[in-house]
Amino acid sequence: MTAFLVVILGFLAAIGIYLAALVARASPAPAAFGDAGARLPGWAVSFASAGVMLAGMGLGDHLALIGRYGLQASHIALGLILAALTALLVQKRLWLAARIAGLSSPGEALGRYYQSVPLRLAMLTLALLFGLPFAANLLSQLGGVLTEATGGFVPRATAIWVSAFFLFLPAVIGGWRATVLVLALQAVLLAVLVPGLAGFAAGMLAGPGFPTTPLTVAPGILADQIPGVIQFSAGIGKQTPPGGIFTGVGIASTALSLIGIVLSPGFLYLGMTARPGRSAGFAPVWLIAALLTGLLLIAGPMLAGRIGPGPAQLATRLSLIEPFAGVAWLLLLILTAQIAIAFFTTSGAILISREVILPFVLPSLSPAKARLTMRIALAIAFALVAALAAFAPLASAVFGSLAIPLAVQMLPAFLGLTFLRWISRSAVLVGLIFGGLMAVFTEPLGLILFEGLFVDLPWGRWPLGVHSAAWGLALNVMAVLLVAIFTRSGSERAQRDRLHDEFAATWAVDFGGKAARNAKWSLTLIWAFFALGPGAILGNSFFSQPIFTTGDAALGVPSLWVWQLLFWLIGVPLVWWLAYSTALGTTSGQGLRRIALDDPARKTSPEWIAASLARVTAPTGGER
Amino acid sequence: MSSEAETSERLDRHALVLAVWLPAGFVALGLWHYGFGAGGAWWVAAGFAALLAGFAAHVIVNAVLGTGFNPGETGLGLVLYATATVALVLAVLLGDGFAARFFLAVAGGMIALLLAAVFYLLTRFGTRGAFDRFDVIRDNNPRRASRLTQRGTGR
Repeated sequence: MTAFLVVILGFLAAIGIYLAALVARASPAPAAFGDAGARLPGWAVSFASAGVMLAGMGLGDHLALIGRYGLQASHIALGLILAALTALLVQKRLWLAARIAGLSSPGEALGRYYQSVPLRLAMLTLALLFGLPFAANLLSQLGGVLTEATGGFVPRATAIWVSAFFLFLPAVIGGWRATVLVLALQAVLLAVLVPGLAGFAAGMLAGPGFPTTPLTVAPGILADQIPGVIQFSAGIGKQTPPGGIFTGVGIASTALSLIGIVLSPGFLYLGMTARPGRSAGFAPVWLIAALLTGLLLIAGPMLAGRIGPGPAQLATRLSLIEPFAGVAWLLLLILTAQIAIAFFTTSGAILISREVILPFVLPSLSPAKARLTMRIALAIAFALVAALAAFAPLASAVFGSLAIPLAVQMLPAFLGLTFLRWISRSAVLVGLIFGGLMAVFTEPLGLILFEGLFVDLPWGRWPLGVHSAAWGLALNVMAVLLVAIFTRSGSERAQRDRLHDEFAATWAVDFGGKAARNAKWSLTLIWAFFALGPGAILGNSFFSQPIFTTGDAALGVPSLWVWQLLFWLIGVPLVWWLAYSTALGTTSGQGLRRIALDDPARKTSPEWIAASLARVTAPTGGER
Repeated sequence: MSSEAETSERLDRHALVLAVWLPAGFVALGLWHYGFGAGGAWWVAAGFAALLAGFAAHVIVNAVLGTGFNPGETGLGLVLYATATVALVLAVLLGDGFAARFFLAVAGGMIALLLAAVFYLLTRFGTRGAFDRFDVIRDNNPRRASRLTQRGTGR
């Protein structure tokens, strides 16, 4: 199986390099290296978005959680519908803002709209968190899977460095466009592998699997039920909640955290660099809400129930039947990790080059030299990711765990930019500080630092079973609402109005009449309450012990699974309705009127940087 | 459209076609590997079904993007088909028990692929147009009269 796996991985790497070389030959303009000329094809953006969603939530981790906690963990997949709704709300307006005001990145969009350098820095910090520790953690896991699957034939460090090198090559050769095209290609392959493998495992492996038999979990864990609406536990690491960690609010808050992937700088940048078309609707509705959610809800438990002691063991069992199947299973885990690593590292390096290095450190470079700068940044970024994964996997995991909860804290800022003009800079900044601190102190980094320096905290990770992203967002939203009351007409209000007036004049979102508008929001909230919120607890026995009869129904499958599938089937039309009846799912380049937003950041190099650079780069006396 | 934009469009389409054939080819190879080993004829036939699905997806890509199969794709398809035909003949002649176990599945699959290609040509170009694609003798006729529209070659 090892040779087979190496050949397939080599073939996929060769395709990536081949595509990148074609891109480099087809788009010789250096200026298009970092943004693909903002004309990425819709199909590639759509499939890459879905692939990044799956990779960002971590397929391997998700299956491991299902294997450990059963259907309560599988329920989180319904949160992808929430992420799809967020993508719909944010992506189109951000795309429009980029075209109308000439904004080149999400950080620049927030910075210029709110007239705030700190917000720009916050986005760059997020790009760094996703691009380095988050990606390094996944690369470290990928190295572990490869080593285990090959029985130690490929050492972990070798697997990490070789993988990083072959992920780096397409990015450095073809830039942003090549990266997205390769990711889209891999995402299509994943879309076939997941159902194919689930079907093969169900049909060919010995013994009945899920849903014929329940998932096997540790004693005390409820495999096919949600363990209550909320449990008053101190959190992971301090107290073990009975029945499992994914209570009603646990599921809702973890589902909410998936919004963090949508609000990550790379994901938003991907949407901003798409060409006009239907990708803004196709990806959230059909690929994320319909295909991805469905695949995870149906195939997730089927695969997780077969994993047993670990992914390598399942690969061995599958390869005894058919080597291709064993390799396909490993490929599934490897590709999801590769997609996330390539995407977040490349987008992080490009965004930091475009927002920091090119405007402030080296402001007068020609496009060709700017491209060289980005290539060097990519090389450094991938080398750092590989080094972190190889030598500091624990630190990568600790810092990487902050990326998604902190990205969720950007939600008020992006809602302000796209719809709510009354959200002011001060409100966003105060909310971000409180929300960010709350998220940090309910994640390992804050706990380790505080408990190491001062005293033990009474709570652990995710107190009350509520995800850190939700803790942070709750405090964040409260702060935003409170501060916005006093600062809604702050000094930068004119700037905010200028963009929103343009939206209202030319690109107004038609939510319909009063009834249609109310229906859209109320149905979404009702769906969220029953699908993800406390109402999901009804699914524990709704179909197995119907309330209208005293007898039990012989369903043959867990009631909760049916509940999940039902709310998936209801959720997809909901997203579709929002996307297409309001035209949030389509973008068009026609009729765009340019407006200019002031830039609070000087596009010149600060004196101390210029002086330092001059000292290093100025010709010496001997050379004159 | 500028030359660079055209090249760019072609590249995007090429990547999409690769995205269609990569999973289809991977699944087909997997099914054949298992089918020719322990699985049996049905798995081999399923491999051809995966190829047919890939072909159908390729046709859909062409329809959506308003393009057709380019010469490279046509050439590669014909070469692979010819190679598969030769391999089938050799396997039937030389393979021990191959004909009894797999002939129907492989030959049926290849005929299905051929029929799919013919169906595509007929629906895209019509009967005469499809025939004209291969009518090299008439194309080589130097007389001007052979180019008259009513003779079916006024292209």
